[in-house]
Amino acid sequence: MTQTILADLPPAPTRPRRTGHHRRRGLVGLAMSLPAFALVGVMLGWPMIQAFYYSMTSWDGITATWIGPSTYTHEFHDPAFWRVLQNNLLLLVAIPVALAIPMGIAFLLDTRVFGWRLFRSAYFLPTAISWVVIGMVSERFFAAQGQLNSLLSAIGLGFITTNFLSGERTALLAVALTFIWSMIGTNMIIFLTGMATLDPNLAEAARVDGAGGWQTFLRITVPQLKRFIQFALMMTLISAFTALFSLIFVMTSGGPGYGTTTLEFFVYQTAFEQGDFGTGAMLGVILFVIMATVGIVQVRLLRTDD
Amino acid sequence: MSAASVTELPPQVTRPRKVRRPLRGSLLFALMVAVAVVMLYPFWYMIDTSLLSETSFLNGTGGHSLASWRALGATLPWQQQLGNSTIVCLLSISIILVCSTMAGFAFAKLRYPGATIVFLAIIAALLIPVQSIVIPAYVDVANWHLLNSYTGAVLMYSAIGTPFATFLMTAYYRSLPDELLEAGVMDGLSYPAIFVRIALPMSVPALATIFVLQFIQIWDDLLIGLLFLQNVNERTITVGLGALAAGRTTNIPVLMAGSLVSALPAIVVFLVFQRFLVNGLTAGIGR
Repeated sequence: MTQTILADLPPAPTRPRRTGHHRRRGLVGLAMSLPAFALVGVMLGWPMIQAFYYSMTSWDGITATWIGPSTYTHEFHDPAFWRVLQNNLLLLVAIPVALAIPMGIAFLLDTRVFGWRLFRSAYFLPTAISWVVIGMVSERFFAAQGQLNSLLSAIGLGFITTNFLSGERTALLAVALTFIWSMIGTNMIIFLTGMATLDPNLAEAARVDGAGGWQTFLRITVPQLKRFIQFALMMTLISAFTALFSLIFVMTSGGPGYGTTTLEFFVYQTAFEQGDFGTGAMLGVILFVIMATVGIVQVRLLRTDD
Repeated sequence: MSAASVTELPPQVTRPRKVRRPLRGSLLFALMVAVAVVMLYPFWYMIDTSLLSETSFLNGTGGHSLASWRALGATLPWQQQLGNSTIVCLLSISIILVCSTMAGFAFAKLRYPGATIVFLAIIAALLIPVQSIVIPAYVDVANWHLLNSYTGAVLMYSAIGTPFATFLMTAYYRSLPDELLEAGVMDGLSYPAIFVRIALPMSVPALATIFVLQFIQIWDDLLIGLLFLQNVNERTITVGLGALAAGRTTNIPVLMAGSLVSALPAIVVFLVFQRFLVNGLTAGIGR
């Protein structure tokens, strides 16, 4: 991402004329960019540096005792840590679904089906709703007496009914399904925006050559949407790893056991429920390293395209 | 007949995708309706449940009533919390808009040596997950004695929203021609005056995009509010609701009424600014 942004910046003047006029312009520019820099630096940048330091201490929020990098090796021997990371990996499985469904919906809307504008707004509307509200409704939906079980019984699948939120795997499945549902709006909008940029002549040419609708979609539409798919993938991945706190907080509180505790939720639990700020800070650093790696890989992938 | 003649037209007639076969069209329409039911079901569920009393919800008997709506105030001080949400949102968004428009204008039009590094430093903060910094930030803000006022939460929201807003504004001001700036200089305007009188009025669409993105994000946030608004009387509606839900309150109809109250302002903002939200969500895609 930074790569594309860098390209957006105007080139620095090759021969800066050192007149008073230009110097004043630069000084005004410096002064105008300082508030944003100071705000981000003090509230995000500095705490990130602090997090690296505190991750190697024993810290209760008041006094910190230096331990060193061994805190990390110690954590890597904790089975709970791997259990939590496993949940993150399992959530990855939801991502292709969270892309494929909105892609299909966007494709159908793009055929300008009757009432498509209204449908688009309806599908996009849940984007305005907080995870807290979504989590509350979802908790009811997956509960023992919830609508999903009624639905399953009604269609003759009564034998699968269960309290989804009381089993570790089924609870994670419930969180994943809720996550997929709530990504539909955003991803659909991203894909619709992409489809508006498509060259209709290409699809037409494919049709003239005898390609079916499905083949046209796979061979012509999808490759042209590559940039948009990559972007949606990135946003979905970031959401899966860093935006589900409120959903998990309301729906399952991370349980049963560690059943739905993801790394981001583990950070909160460790620091603010168990009072272990040092380990919490370390888990935060690990989360940062994972997300930064994903971000850098993404930039690399985009660069090889150019 | 007409369908056959349309297909014989040369392919210059673009957008011939409108479904012409009536059966397929109806099937497609039915599918779209089914998806709409899935997407809108939670809204219906909230409305329907909030109109039941607690007993009729638990027993599945009895008709609809406003009992749960009348009981809402005793469980959730929603008037106060809606006020808190509004104050926190507007203060944070104001700070984000001031910081990001000024910085964006500077990075686009008032370049200085090192501007690129400052720009990248701000944008790099996009890579930091909130959970990675929330613990040290919480302790810092506690040490500044700001946990018992709006200030700590407002500062956090402002800082979290500023990097992306700065990116948007820089790209936006980049698209304005330099001649505008030069014309202002010719008229004897100072650079801050050019920014306020010329650039800022031209960037209203970008400001609307940042407003709606941040409004929904801050209004709907739980984590920062939960930690940084320690004074119960300053809780936002989302935090109030989250605390209730996690407290395992059994009165589901009242919770659903509260959910509707909390969701309504965000829905209104969403509907009014939908176009700008679409711009904001897709602004990060490289061109």
